[in-house]
Amino acid sequence: MLNFSPSEGSAAAAAARRASAKPGRTIRVSVKRCEGPGQDSRWETFSVKVDRGANVISVLQQIAANPVTVEGKRTTPVVWDSGCLEEVCGACTMVINGKVRQSCSCLMDEYAPGEGDEITLEPMTKFPVVRDLWVDRSRLFHNLARVKAWVPIDGTYYLGAGPREKPQQQEVRYKLSECMSCGCCLEACPQFNLEENPADWNTAFIGAHAISQARLFNEHETGKALRDERLEVLMGPGGVSDCGNAQNCVKVCPKHIPLTESIASVGRAVTLHGLTRWFKA
Amino acid sequence: MASQSFLDRHHFLLRRLHSLTGIVPIGVFLIAHLTTNSSLLWGKAGLRGTGDHYSFGKDGVTLLEGGVAYFQKEVTWINEQVPHLLLIELTLWLSIAFHAVLGVIYARTGRANTSRYEYQSNWRYRLQRLSGYLGILFIFYHVATLRWGWTFLVPGGTAWSHDFAASTLAAAIRGSETGFTAAGFAVALLYFLGVTLLVFHFANGLWTAAITWGLTISQRAQERWGYACFALGAGLMVMGWASLLGAVMIDPAKARAVEQSIQEGKVGESLAGQADR
Repeated sequence: MLNFSPSEGSAAAAAARRASAKPGRTIRVSVKRCEGPGQDSRWETFSVKVDRGANVISVLQQIAANPVTVEGKRTTPVVWDSGCLEEVCGACTMVINGKVRQSCSCLMDEYAPGEGDEITLEPMTKFPVVRDLWVDRSRLFHNLARVKAWVPIDGTYYLGAGPREKPQQQEVRYKLSECMSCGCCLEACPQFNLEENPADWNTAFIGAHAISQARLFNEHETGKALRDERLEVLMGPGGVSDCGNAQNCVKVCPKHIPLTESIASVGRAVTLHGLTRWFKA
Repeated sequence: MASQSFLDRHHFLLRRLHSLTGIVPIGVFLIAHLTTNSSLLWGKAGLRGTGDHYSFGKDGVTLLEGGVAYFQKEVTWINEQVPHLLLIELTLWLSIAFHAVLGVIYARTGRANTSRYEYQSNWRYRLQRLSGYLGILFIFYHVATLRWGWTFLVPGGTAWSHDFAASTLAAAIRGSETGFTAAGFAVALLYFLGVTLLVFHFANGLWTAAITWGLTISQRAQERWGYACFALGAGLMVMGWASLLGAVMIDPAKARAVEQSIQEGKVGESLAGQADR
Protein backbone atom coordinates (compact mmCIF):
# COMPACT_ATOMS: atom_id res chain seq x y z
CA MET A 1 0.00 0.00 0.00
CA LEU A 2 2.74 2.45 0.95
CA ASN A 3 5.11 3.06 -1.92
CA PHE A 4 8.58 4.42 -1.17
CA SER A 5 10.14 3.00 -4.34
CA PRO A 6 12.75 5.29 -5.89
CA SER A 7 11.99 3.99 -9.39
CA GLU A 8 8.85 3.78 -11.48
CA GLY A 9 7.49 1.73 -14.35
CA SER A 10 8.17 -1.86 -15.29
CA ALA A 11 11.15 -2.84 -17.44
CA ALA A 12 9.37 -6.04 -18.47
CA ALA A 13 6.35 -4.15 -19.81
CA ALA A 14 8.62 -1.83 -21.78
CA ALA A 15 10.49 -4.79 -23.27
CA ALA A 16 7.21 -6.43 -24.26
CA ARG A 17 6.11 -3.26 -26.05
CA ARG A 18 9.43 -3.07 -27.92
CA ALA A 19 9.08 -6.70 -29.01
CA SER A 20 5.54 -6.08 -30.30
CA ALA A 21 6.52 -3.07 -32.46
CA LYS A 22 5.79 -3.40 -36.19
CA PRO A 23 8.59 -2.22 -38.53
CA GLY A 24 7.54 0.18 -41.28
CA ARG A 25 4.52 1.53 -39.39
CA THR A 26 3.37 5.13 -39.53
CA ILE A 27 3.07 7.06 -36.26
CA ARG A 28 1.78 10.50 -35.36
CA VAL A 29 4.12 12.98 -33.70
CA SER A 30 2.62 16.06 -32.03
CA VAL A 31 5.10 18.82 -31.30
CA LYS A 32 4.59 21.92 -29.17
CA ARG A 33 6.06 24.67 -31.34
CA CYS A 34 7.25 28.13 -30.32
CA GLU A 35 8.89 30.70 -32.61
CA GLY A 36 11.03 32.29 -29.93
CA PRO A 37 11.33 33.56 -26.36
CA GLY A 38 8.10 35.06 -25.02
CA GLN A 39 6.03 34.01 -28.04
CA ASP A 40 2.85 31.96 -27.94
CA SER A 41 3.12 28.26 -28.58
CA ARG A 42 1.03 26.06 -30.86
CA TRP A 43 0.69 22.34 -31.57
CA GLU A 44 1.60 20.73 -34.89
CA THR A 45 1.17 17.08 -35.76
CA PHE A 46 3.28 15.14 -38.24
CA SER A 47 2.93 11.70 -39.74
CA VAL A 48 6.20 9.76 -39.74
CA LYS A 49 7.10 6.33 -41.08
CA VAL A 50 9.38 4.56 -38.59
CA ASP A 51 11.57 1.46 -38.72
CA ARG A 52 12.86 -0.69 -35.89
CA GLY A 53 15.15 1.21 -33.52
CA ALA A 54 13.90 4.70 -34.40
CA ASN A 55 14.24 7.22 -31.59
CA VAL A 56 12.83 10.72 -31.12
CA ILE A 57 15.92 12.27 -32.71
CA SER A 58 15.60 10.22 -35.91
CA VAL A 59 11.89 11.04 -36.02
CA LEU A 60 12.72 14.76 -35.71
CA GLN A 61 15.30 14.40 -38.49
CA GLN A 62 12.64 12.93 -40.76
CA ILE A 63 10.30 15.82 -39.93
CA ALA A 64 13.13 18.28 -40.71
CA ALA A 65 13.62 16.62 -44.12
CA ASN A 66 9.94 17.06 -44.94
CA PRO A 67 8.27 19.55 -42.59
CA VAL A 68 4.65 19.04 -43.66
CA THR A 69 1.91 18.61 -41.04
CA VAL A 70 -0.85 15.99 -41.24
CA GLU A 71 -3.13 18.74 -42.58
CA GLY A 72 -0.71 19.11 -45.52
CA LYS A 73 0.51 22.51 -44.35
CA ARG A 74 4.18 23.25 -45.05
CA THR A 75 5.97 24.50 -41.90
CA THR A 76 9.48 25.13 -40.55
CA PRO A 77 11.70 22.28 -39.37
CA VAL A 78 11.42 21.64 -35.62
CA VAL A 79 14.34 22.98 -33.60
CA TRP A 80 15.82 20.84 -30.83
CA ASP A 81 19.03 20.58 -28.84
CA SER A 82 21.18 17.47 -28.71
CA GLY A 83 24.77 16.40 -28.24
CA CYS A 84 26.05 12.94 -27.43
CA LEU A 85 23.05 10.88 -28.63
CA GLU A 86 23.88 8.26 -25.99
CA GLU A 87 22.22 9.66 -22.85
CA VAL A 88 25.28 11.09 -21.16
CA CYS A 89 25.15 14.81 -22.03
CA GLY A 90 21.60 15.78 -21.09
CA ALA A 91 21.17 18.30 -23.92
CA CYS A 92 18.23 16.59 -25.65
CA THR A 93 16.05 16.43 -22.52
CA MET A 94 12.40 17.18 -23.29
CA VAL A 95 8.88 16.31 -22.15
CA ILE A 96 7.71 13.20 -24.00
CA ASN A 97 4.14 11.98 -23.50
CA GLY A 98 3.88 14.32 -20.53
CA LYS A 99 7.00 13.14 -18.72
CA VAL A 100 10.54 14.43 -18.84
CA ARG A 101 13.38 12.30 -20.25
CA GLN A 102 16.17 12.27 -22.83
CA SER A 103 14.86 12.08 -26.39
CA CYS A 104 17.90 10.21 -27.77
CA SER A 105 17.22 7.16 -25.61
CA CYS A 106 13.46 7.32 -26.20
CA LEU A 107 12.67 4.49 -28.62
CA MET A 108 9.59 4.62 -30.83
CA ASP A 109 9.31 0.83 -30.57
CA GLU A 110 8.49 1.35 -26.90
CA TYR A 111 6.53 4.60 -27.04
CA ALA A 112 4.55 4.03 -30.25
CA PRO A 113 4.69 0.32 -31.10
CA GLY A 114 1.45 0.22 -33.09
CA GLU A 115 0.29 1.64 -36.42
CA GLY A 116 -1.07 5.17 -35.91
CA ASP A 117 0.18 5.49 -32.30
CA GLU A 118 0.82 9.06 -31.22
CA ILE A 119 3.59 10.62 -29.18
CA THR A 120 3.76 14.19 -27.90
CA LEU A 121 6.93 16.26 -27.67
CA GLU A 122 7.10 19.41 -25.54
CA PRO A 123 10.00 21.57 -24.34
CA MET A 124 10.82 21.47 -20.64
CA THR A 125 8.57 23.88 -18.76
CA LYS A 126 10.97 24.99 -16.02
CA PHE A 127 13.41 26.73 -18.38
CA PRO A 128 12.79 29.52 -20.89
CA VAL A 129 12.15 28.25 -24.41
CA VAL A 130 14.68 29.36 -27.02
CA ARG A 131 12.73 27.83 -29.87
CA ASP A 132 10.46 24.78 -30.23
CA LEU A 133 11.98 21.99 -28.12
CA TRP A 134 15.19 23.87 -27.33
CA VAL A 135 15.37 25.47 -23.87
CA ASP A 136 17.93 27.63 -22.10
CA ARG A 137 19.24 25.68 -19.10
CA SER A 138 21.54 28.48 -17.83
CA ARG A 139 19.88 28.50 -14.42
CA LEU A 140 20.80 24.85 -13.90
CA PHE A 141 24.50 25.66 -14.36
CA HIS A 142 24.19 28.89 -12.38
CA ASN A 143 22.89 26.82 -9.46
CA LEU A 144 25.88 24.46 -9.69
CA ALA A 145 28.11 27.53 -9.44
CA ARG A 146 26.11 28.73 -6.40
CA VAL A 147 27.19 25.65 -4.45
CA LYS A 148 30.72 25.74 -5.88
CA ALA A 149 30.32 22.28 -7.39
CA TRP A 150 34.03 21.78 -8.03
CA VAL A 151 37.31 20.81 -6.37
CA PRO A 152 39.41 23.93 -5.61
CA ILE A 153 42.85 23.14 -6.99
CA ASP A 154 43.54 26.18 -9.16
CA GLY A 155 46.71 27.98 -8.14
CA THR A 156 50.10 29.23 -9.19
CA TYR A 157 52.25 26.36 -7.88
CA TYR A 158 52.24 22.58 -7.63
CA LEU A 159 50.15 21.46 -4.64
CA GLY A 160 51.49 17.92 -4.47
CA ALA A 161 49.47 14.75 -4.25
CA GLY A 162 45.94 15.09 -2.83
CA PRO A 163 44.73 13.30 0.29
CA ARG A 164 43.92 9.61 0.03
CA GLU A 165 40.32 8.74 -0.88
CA LYS A 166 38.71 5.76 0.85
CA PRO A 167 37.22 3.15 -1.52
CA GLN A 168 33.93 3.23 0.43
CA GLN A 169 33.66 6.96 -0.13
CA GLN A 170 34.58 6.56 -3.78
CA GLU A 171 31.74 4.12 -4.20
CA VAL A 172 29.18 6.59 -2.84
CA ARG A 173 30.64 9.44 -4.85
CA TYR A 174 30.86 7.51 -8.11
CA LYS A 175 27.08 7.22 -8.33
CA LEU A 176 26.64 10.93 -7.57
CA SER A 177 29.27 11.84 -10.19
CA GLU A 178 27.12 10.32 -12.94
CA CYS A 179 24.90 13.42 -12.94
CA MET A 180 24.88 14.88 -16.46
CA SER A 181 23.05 18.11 -15.55
CA CYS A 182 20.12 17.22 -17.80
CA GLY A 183 17.40 18.90 -15.72
CA CYS A 184 14.94 15.98 -15.38
CA CYS A 185 14.92 16.30 -11.57
CA LEU A 186 14.10 20.02 -11.90
CA GLU A 187 11.39 19.57 -14.51
CA ALA A 188 9.55 17.02 -12.33
CA CYS A 189 10.00 18.99 -9.08
CA PRO A 190 6.94 20.90 -7.82
CA GLN A 191 9.22 23.24 -5.85
CA PHE A 192 11.41 24.19 -8.84
CA ASN A 193 9.50 26.52 -11.14
CA LEU A 194 10.24 28.75 -14.10
CA GLU A 195 12.09 31.94 -13.11
CA GLU A 196 12.59 34.14 -16.16
CA ASN A 197 14.47 36.83 -14.24
CA PRO A 198 18.06 35.77 -13.32
CA ALA A 199 17.85 38.12 -10.31
CA ASP A 200 15.47 35.60 -8.70
CA TRP A 201 17.72 32.61 -9.28
CA ASN A 202 19.62 33.09 -6.01
CA THR A 203 16.51 32.88 -3.83
CA ALA A 204 14.36 30.38 -5.75
CA PHE A 205 14.74 26.65 -5.03
CA ILE A 206 18.17 25.46 -6.12
CA GLY A 207 17.08 21.95 -7.15
CA ALA A 208 18.05 18.36 -6.40
CA HIS A 209 20.96 18.28 -8.86
CA ALA A 210 22.87 21.08 -7.10
CA ILE A 211 22.16 19.63 -3.63
CA SER A 212 23.48 16.25 -4.77
CA GLN A 213 26.57 17.80 -6.36
CA ALA A 214 27.26 19.77 -3.18
CA ARG A 215 27.21 16.44 -1.33
CA LEU A 216 29.54 14.92 -3.94
CA PHE A 217 32.15 17.64 -3.47
CA ASN A 218 31.67 17.92 0.31
CA GLU A 219 32.60 14.25 0.58
CA HIS A 220 35.70 14.68 -1.60
CA GLU A 221 38.85 14.97 0.51
CA THR A 222 40.03 18.09 -1.35
CA GLY A 223 36.58 19.37 -2.26
CA LYS A 224 35.82 19.49 1.47
CA ALA A 225 37.75 22.76 1.71
CA LEU A 226 34.64 24.58 0.47
CA ARG A 227 32.21 22.58 2.61
CA ASP A 228 31.11 25.43 4.87
CA GLU A 229 30.58 27.81 1.95
CA ARG A 230 28.38 25.24 0.20
CA LEU A 231 26.37 24.59 3.36
CA GLU A 232 25.86 28.31 3.96
CA VAL A 233 24.28 28.63 0.51
CA LEU A 234 22.16 25.53 1.07
CA MET A 235 20.90 26.91 4.41
CA GLY A 236 19.77 30.13 2.77
CA PRO A 237 16.69 31.03 0.71
CA GLY A 238 16.12 28.49 -2.03
CA GLY A 239 18.40 25.99 -0.27
CA VAL A 240 17.80 22.44 0.84
CA SER A 241 15.01 23.47 3.27
CA ASP A 242 12.86 24.47 0.28
CA CYS A 243 12.63 20.82 -0.79
CA GLY A 244 9.03 19.66 -0.39
CA ASN A 245 9.82 15.92 -0.31
CA ALA A 246 7.60 15.07 -3.28
CA GLN A 247 10.52 12.82 -4.31
CA ASN A 248 9.75 13.05 -8.03
CA CYS A 249 13.42 13.86 -8.69
CA VAL A 250 14.69 10.42 -7.81
CA LYS A 251 11.99 8.71 -9.90
CA VAL A 252 12.72 10.62 -13.11
CA CYS A 253 16.53 10.67 -12.80
CA PRO A 254 17.80 8.79 -15.88
CA LYS A 255 21.01 7.89 -14.04
CA HIS A 256 19.18 6.57 -10.95
CA ILE A 257 21.18 8.86 -8.69
CA PRO A 258 19.92 8.60 -5.08
CA LEU A 259 18.86 12.25 -5.04
CA THR A 260 16.56 11.92 -2.02
CA GLU A 261 19.43 10.39 -0.04
CA SER A 262 21.59 13.35 -1.04
CA ILE A 263 18.87 15.75 0.10
CA ALA A 264 18.61 13.99 3.49
CA SER A 265 22.39 13.84 3.80
CA VAL A 266 22.72 17.57 3.14
CA GLY A 267 19.77 18.07 5.53
CA ARG A 268 21.82 16.39 8.27
CA ALA A 269 24.91 18.42 7.35
CA VAL A 270 23.07 21.75 7.60
CA THR A 271 21.37 20.69 10.87
CA LEU A 272 24.78 20.10 12.45
CA HIS A 273 26.35 23.12 10.75
CA GLY A 274 23.49 25.34 11.90
CA LEU A 275 23.68 24.13 15.49
CA THR A 276 27.46 24.48 15.58
CA ARG A 277 27.30 27.98 14.14
CA TRP A 278 24.55 29.05 16.55
CA PHE A 279 26.52 28.02 19.63
CA LYS A 280 29.86 29.25 18.29
CA ALA A 281 29.27 32.70 16.91
CA MET B 1 22.24 42.25 1.70
CA ALA B 2 20.17 44.88 3.45
CA SER B 3 17.27 44.42 1.05
CA GLN B 4 16.64 40.86 2.22
CA SER B 5 13.30 40.29 3.85
CA PHE B 6 12.86 38.99 7.41
CA LEU B 7 11.94 35.60 5.99
CA ASP B 8 15.12 35.47 3.91
CA ARG B 9 17.44 36.64 6.69
CA HIS B 10 16.21 33.96 9.08
CA HIS B 11 15.38 31.41 6.41
CA PHE B 12 16.97 28.35 7.99
CA LEU B 13 15.85 29.06 11.56
CA LEU B 14 12.24 29.71 10.49
CA ARG B 15 12.13 26.60 8.31
CA ARG B 16 13.42 24.44 11.16
CA LEU B 17 11.12 26.05 13.72
CA HIS B 18 8.24 25.39 11.33
CA SER B 19 9.22 21.73 11.24
CA LEU B 20 9.82 21.56 15.00
CA THR B 21 6.54 23.20 16.04
CA GLY B 22 4.64 20.66 13.94
CA ILE B 23 6.03 17.90 16.17
CA VAL B 24 6.50 19.71 19.50
CA PRO B 25 4.13 20.96 20.77
CA ILE B 26 1.43 20.44 18.11
CA GLY B 27 1.98 16.77 17.26
CA VAL B 28 2.55 15.74 20.87
CA PHE B 29 -0.63 17.56 21.86
CA LEU B 30 -2.55 15.82 19.05
CA ILE B 31 -1.55 12.42 20.46
CA ALA B 32 -2.65 13.39 23.98
CA HIS B 33 -5.85 15.05 22.71
CA LEU B 34 -6.99 12.06 20.65
CA THR B 35 -6.11 9.63 23.45
CA THR B 36 -8.29 11.58 25.89
CA ASN B 37 -11.15 12.07 23.45
CA SER B 38 -11.27 8.47 22.26
CA SER B 39 -11.86 7.46 25.90
CA LEU B 40 -15.50 8.25 25.11
CA LEU B 41 -15.43 4.76 23.56
CA TRP B 42 -12.85 2.87 25.63
CA GLY B 43 -13.24 4.72 28.92
CA LYS B 44 -15.32 2.01 30.58
CA ALA B 45 -12.28 -0.25 30.53
CA GLY B 46 -10.26 2.46 32.23
CA LEU B 47 -12.64 3.19 35.12
CA ARG B 48 -11.03 0.58 37.40
CA GLY B 49 -13.99 0.36 39.73
CA THR B 50 -14.19 4.05 40.43
CA GLY B 51 -17.55 4.08 38.66
CA ASP B 52 -19.14 2.60 41.77
CA HIS B 53 -20.33 5.85 43.27
CA TYR B 54 -21.82 7.25 40.05
CA SER B 55 -25.55 6.56 39.57
CA PHE B 56 -25.57 4.38 36.47
CA GLY B 57 -28.47 2.42 35.05
CA LYS B 58 -29.67 -0.63 36.98
CA ASP B 59 -28.08 -3.06 34.51
CA GLY B 60 -24.64 -1.81 35.45
CA VAL B 61 -22.37 0.55 33.53
CA THR B 62 -22.92 0.60 29.76
CA LEU B 63 -20.03 1.18 27.36
CA LEU B 64 -20.99 4.78 26.70
CA GLU B 65 -21.83 5.56 30.34
CA GLY B 66 -18.40 4.30 31.28
CA GLY B 67 -16.91 6.39 28.49
CA VAL B 68 -18.75 9.51 29.60
CA ALA B 69 -17.64 9.03 33.22
CA TYR B 70 -14.00 8.33 32.33
CA PHE B 71 -13.86 11.19 29.81
CA GLN B 72 -15.32 13.57 32.43
CA LYS B 73 -12.71 12.41 34.95
CA GLU B 74 -9.93 13.16 32.40
CA VAL B 75 -11.35 16.56 31.48
CA THR B 76 -11.72 17.50 35.13
CA TRP B 77 -8.15 16.40 35.77
CA ILE B 78 -6.88 18.51 32.88
CA ASN B 79 -8.83 21.56 34.00
CA GLU B 80 -8.10 21.28 37.71
CA GLN B 81 -4.76 19.51 38.03
CA VAL B 82 -2.60 20.38 35.00
CA PRO B 83 -0.45 23.35 36.03
CA HIS B 84 -0.14 26.51 33.91
CA LEU B 85 -3.03 25.40 31.69
CA LEU B 86 -3.51 28.82 30.10
CA LEU B 87 0.22 29.05 29.40
CA ILE B 88 0.10 25.62 27.74
CA GLU B 89 -2.91 26.69 25.70
CA LEU B 90 -1.30 29.97 24.62
CA THR B 91 1.86 28.10 23.59
CA LEU B 92 -0.25 25.73 21.53
CA TRP B 93 -2.29 28.46 19.86
CA LEU B 94 0.80 30.50 19.02
CA SER B 95 2.59 27.42 17.71
CA ILE B 96 -0.38 26.50 15.53
CA ALA B 97 -0.63 30.07 14.22
CA PHE B 98 3.13 30.16 13.49
CA HIS B 99 3.06 26.74 11.79
CA ALA B 100 -0.02 27.70 9.76
CA VAL B 101 1.16 31.14 8.58
CA LEU B 102 4.61 29.89 7.56
CA GLY B 103 3.06 26.73 6.14
CA VAL B 104 0.85 28.75 3.81
CA ILE B 105 3.81 30.92 2.73
CA TYR B 106 5.94 27.83 2.05
CA ALA B 107 3.14 25.92 0.32
CA ARG B 108 2.67 28.82 -2.07
CA THR B 109 6.25 28.42 -3.37
CA GLY B 110 5.32 25.10 -4.96
CA ARG B 111 3.16 24.11 -7.90
CA ALA B 112 1.62 20.64 -7.67
CA ASN B 113 2.09 18.42 -10.73
CA THR B 114 0.35 15.17 -9.79
CA SER B 115 -1.47 15.14 -13.12
CA ARG B 116 1.85 14.51 -14.89
CA TYR B 117 3.84 12.72 -12.21
CA GLU B 118 1.22 10.57 -10.52
CA TYR B 119 3.59 8.95 -8.00
CA GLN B 120 2.34 8.21 -4.52
CA SER B 121 5.01 10.38 -2.92
CA ASN B 122 3.94 13.26 -5.17
CA TRP B 123 0.34 12.79 -4.04
CA ARG B 124 1.50 12.83 -0.44
CA TYR B 125 3.24 16.15 -1.18
CA ARG B 126 0.03 17.57 -2.58
CA LEU B 127 -2.17 16.16 0.19
CA GLN B 128 0.20 17.55 2.83
CA ARG B 129 -0.50 21.05 1.53
CA LEU B 130 -4.22 20.50 1.04
CA SER B 131 -4.59 19.01 4.54
CA GLY B 132 -2.72 22.01 5.91
CA TYR B 133 -5.06 24.51 4.25
CA LEU B 134 -8.27 22.70 5.25
CA GLY B 135 -6.89 21.55 8.60
CA ILE B 136 -6.25 25.08 9.84
CA LEU B 137 -9.82 26.08 8.99
CA PHE B 138 -11.10 23.10 10.96
CA ILE B 139 -8.83 23.82 13.95
CA PHE B 140 -10.04 27.41 14.00
CA TYR B 141 -13.68 26.31 13.99
CA HIS B 142 -13.00 23.64 16.60
CA VAL B 143 -11.15 25.92 19.04
CA ALA B 144 -13.42 28.94 18.45
CA THR B 145 -16.61 27.01 19.14
CA LEU B 146 -15.61 24.56 21.87
CA ARG B 147 -12.93 26.55 23.67
CA TRP B 148 -13.56 30.26 23.05
CA GLY B 149 -17.32 29.86 23.24
CA TRP B 150 -18.27 31.29 19.84
CA THR B 151 -21.64 29.59 20.15
CA PHE B 152 -23.11 31.49 17.20
CA LEU B 153 -21.12 29.10 15.02
CA VAL B 154 -22.61 26.02 16.71
CA PRO B 155 -25.90 24.71 15.30
CA GLY B 156 -28.24 24.61 18.29
CA GLY B 157 -26.00 27.09 20.09
CA THR B 158 -24.54 24.60 22.60
CA ALA B 159 -21.69 26.00 24.68
CA TRP B 160 -19.10 23.42 25.70
CA SER B 161 -18.65 23.06 29.43
CA HIS B 162 -15.79 21.16 31.07
CA ASP B 163 -18.12 20.11 33.90
CA PHE B 164 -20.45 18.47 31.37
CA ALA B 165 -17.80 17.51 28.85
CA ALA B 166 -19.41 14.63 26.94
CA SER B 167 -23.01 15.88 26.91
CA THR B 168 -22.18 19.37 25.64
CA LEU B 169 -19.71 17.94 23.10
CA ALA B 170 -22.33 15.50 21.80
CA ALA B 171 -24.97 18.27 21.55
CA ALA B 172 -22.54 20.60 19.74
CA ILE B 173 -21.64 17.93 17.18
CA ARG B 174 -25.18 16.60 16.70
CA GLY B 175 -26.71 20.05 16.34
CA SER B 176 -29.17 19.74 19.23
CA GLU B 177 -29.68 18.21 22.70
CA THR B 178 -32.10 15.68 21.37
CA GLY B 179 -30.92 14.28 18.07
CA PHE B 180 -29.10 14.85 14.82
CA THR B 181 -30.07 17.94 12.81
CA ALA B 182 -29.01 18.57 9.21
CA ALA B 183 -26.59 21.27 10.37
CA GLY B 184 -25.35 18.91 13.07
CA PHE B 185 -24.67 16.30 10.43
CA ALA B 186 -22.59 18.86 8.53
CA VAL B 187 -20.60 19.60 11.69
CA ALA B 188 -20.00 15.89 12.28
CA LEU B 189 -18.84 15.55 8.67
CA LEU B 190 -16.53 18.54 9.12
CA TYR B 191 -15.03 16.86 12.19
CA PHE B 192 -14.54 13.61 10.28
CA LEU B 193 -12.75 15.39 7.43
CA GLY B 194 -10.77 17.65 9.73
CA VAL B 195 -9.53 14.88 12.00
CA THR B 196 -8.69 12.59 9.08
CA LEU B 197 -6.73 15.26 7.21
CA LEU B 198 -4.88 16.46 10.30
CA VAL B 199 -3.83 12.96 11.36
CA PHE B 200 -2.48 12.41 7.83
CA HIS B 201 -0.75 15.80 7.98
CA PHE B 202 0.97 14.88 11.24
CA ALA B 203 2.02 11.36 10.22
CA ASN B 204 3.30 12.46 6.80
CA GLY B 205 4.94 15.54 8.31
CA LEU B 206 6.75 13.34 10.80
CA TRP B 207 8.03 11.25 7.91
CA THR B 208 9.32 14.25 5.92
CA ALA B 209 10.72 15.91 9.05
CA ALA B 210 13.13 13.00 9.46
CA ILE B 211 14.46 13.76 5.96
CA THR B 212 14.53 17.52 6.58
CA TRP B 213 16.57 17.16 9.77
CA GLY B 214 18.72 14.43 8.23
CA LEU B 215 17.73 11.60 10.59
CA THR B 216 16.77 9.16 7.84
CA ILE B 217 19.30 9.28 5.02
CA SER B 218 19.32 5.94 3.20
CA GLN B 219 16.41 4.77 1.09
CA ARG B 220 16.00 1.85 3.50
CA ALA B 221 15.91 4.14 6.54
CA GLN B 222 13.30 6.36 4.88
CA GLU B 223 11.18 3.27 4.18
CA ARG B 224 11.49 1.98 7.73
CA TRP B 225 10.56 5.34 9.20
CA GLY B 226 7.72 5.53 6.67
CA TYR B 227 6.17 2.36 8.04
CA ALA B 228 6.66 3.61 11.60
CA CYS B 229 4.88 6.87 10.75
CA PHE B 230 2.16 4.93 8.97
CA ALA B 231 1.60 2.81 12.09
CA LEU B 232 1.46 5.89 14.31
CA GLY B 233 -0.89 7.60 11.85
CA ALA B 234 -3.15 4.52 11.67
CA GLY B 235 -3.33 4.38 15.46
CA LEU B 236 -4.16 8.08 15.70
CA MET B 237 -6.70 7.74 12.90
CA VAL B 238 -8.51 4.99 14.81
CA MET B 239 -8.49 7.14 17.95
CA GLY B 240 -9.70 10.18 16.04
CA TRP B 241 -12.56 8.27 14.43
CA ALA B 242 -13.38 6.60 17.79
CA SER B 243 -13.62 10.04 19.43
CA LEU B 244 -16.04 11.22 16.78
CA LEU B 245 -18.03 7.98 16.85
CA GLY B 246 -18.36 8.33 20.62
CA ALA B 247 -19.51 11.94 20.31
CA VAL B 248 -22.21 11.14 17.76
CA MET B 249 -23.44 8.00 19.57
CA ILE B 250 -23.79 9.53 23.03
CA ASP B 251 -27.26 10.70 24.04
CA PRO B 252 -26.67 14.15 25.59
CA ALA B 253 -29.47 13.69 28.13
CA LYS B 254 -28.15 10.37 29.43
CA ALA B 255 -24.59 11.70 29.46
CA ARG B 256 -25.75 14.72 31.45
CA ALA B 257 -27.27 12.39 34.07
CA VAL B 258 -23.93 10.60 34.50
CA GLU B 259 -22.06 13.88 34.68
CA GLN B 260 -24.56 15.25 37.19
CA SER B 261 -23.97 12.30 39.46
CA ILE B 262 -20.22 12.85 39.17
CA GLN B 263 -20.67 16.49 40.15
CA GLU B 264 -22.62 15.36 43.21
CA GLY B 265 -20.31 12.47 43.96
CA LYS B 266 -17.34 14.77 43.84
CA VAL B 267 -18.76 16.90 46.63
CA GLY B 268 -19.27 13.79 48.73
CA GLU B 269 -15.74 12.61 47.94
CA SER B 270 -14.07 15.79 49.03
CA LEU B 271 -16.10 15.83 52.28
CA ALA B 272 -15.10 12.26 52.95
CA GLY B 273 -11.48 13.14 52.18
CA GLN B 274 -11.57 15.93 54.79
CA ALA B 275 -13.10 13.65 57.42
CA ASP B 276 -10.35 11.07 56.91
CA ARG B 277 -7.61 13.59 57.49
